Amino acid sequence: MKVKLWGTRGSIPSPGPETIRYGGNTSCVGVTLSDGSLLALDAGTGIRSLGLALAAEPARLHILLTHLHLDHIQGLVFFAPAFRPQTEIVIWGPAAPEASLRDRIARYISAPLSPVEVRELPCDVSFRHCPEAEWEIGSARIRAASVAHRGPTLGYRIDDGASSLAYIPDHEPALGADIDALEEEWISGFGLAQGASLLIHDGQYADAEYPDHVGWGHSSLSHALSFARRSGAERTVLFHHDPMHSDERLDRLAEEARSGWAALGGTEGAIGIGAERAEYELSAPAAGMVPAS
Amino acid sequence: MPQKPLELILARNLMSALSTPAFLVDEGGVLVFYNEAAGALLGKRFEELGTVGADEWGSLFGPFGDDGEPIPYDELPLVVAVRNGRPAHAEFEISSADGARHRVEVSAFPILTAHGSQGAIAVFWPRASRNGAAA
Repeated sequence: MKVKLWGTRGSIPSPGPETIRYGGNTSCVGVTLSDGSLLALDAGTGIRSLGLALAAEPARLHILLTHLHLDHIQGLVFFAPAFRPQTEIVIWGPAAPEASLRDRIARYISAPLSPVEVRELPCDVSFRHCPEAEWEIGSARIRAASVAHRGPTLGYRIDDGASSLAYIPDHEPALGADIDALEEEWISGFGLAQGASLLIHDGQYADAEYPDHVGWGHSSLSHALSFARRSGAERTVLFHHDPMHSDERLDRLAEEARSGWAALGGTEGAIGIGAERAEYELSAPAAGMVPAS
Repeated sequence: MPQKPLELILARNLMSALSTPAFLVDEGGVLVFYNEAAGALLGKRFEELGTVGADEWGSLFGPFGDDGEPIPYDELPLVVAVRNGRPAHAEFEISSADGARHRVEVSAFPILTAHGSQGAIAVFWPRASRNGAAA
């Protein structure tokens, strides 16, 4: 399984000279399964670049949305494969009591917010609510579970052979709870992340910033580290960077993450800050995970 | 042990912060948590008791009707909420670990999600103890 980060930013795109290294595009992760199947995790503005990188040949791909906040769907109408008649796109996402996934996404892909309507997309697009039980896409088994954020929000677990990816980009597992004291079964997202080869997890706020953002649905650095450590993930990439965090700020957070991780007894090199275009190749646990760049 | 549904996790986190006695059962009716305020009322902290099966917790602390007889399990608000998926309310007496009786009002409501019922919550409002003092 190959993983590439196409958008690592949270909340709002933040391009500019101060975000060149970690990137300014919002959440999107490309995944190529061992059988060649293609997944896009979220469709923030990063999915535009993913679409441009895909060959213009007929393709079937799956977009797995964690939730429908704009920073996770904004790139949908700028995703080139959606404008190719030969492309089949299956969009998965959380169910909600008020309206179907298609109808909720159509609130964005419709006038006056969008120049096109869902029904006008040339591709063959379908919308599916994620089932409660595990399902298969290509060579992978996919599991979705609700996680602590604002509104219906999922995290994903993708198991492909012996390697596994957990993707929980918007997550506040310590909301109203002491994450270090909770039993594992009572920690939001734990079942998705447990023992994953790679965990991509919310790390939006520095510890000093978190008290002003309790309940906003995101993690402090310390909470993200505790969650990662308790989950036993082999490697963790912090993600969904705050738009106010420049490259220099993220460099400092990376250093804080490394020292905090070491204090928790974590393996050296197993924690990092996600950077746009970074690639990871997940192999069997015995061989470990190979950062491709 | 499998992870609890998010709705139960959030319910527990909320209940932990409340001074109102509150109880939480899962979709199978198993008592999976009660908060410190409930522990004070019952005379036993949840950590001391632990998870209690659906057919056991109903008789641990009574409850007793006005005639002093135990209230049938099926009629307890929490059981009605989790089994029938609707809110329920009742007033009765419970017996704490030290044998004291407490009169309480109880409101229970189901936790319904996109995937169906995940359990139920009950909040207890202490009315007065048997000697007439506020509990």
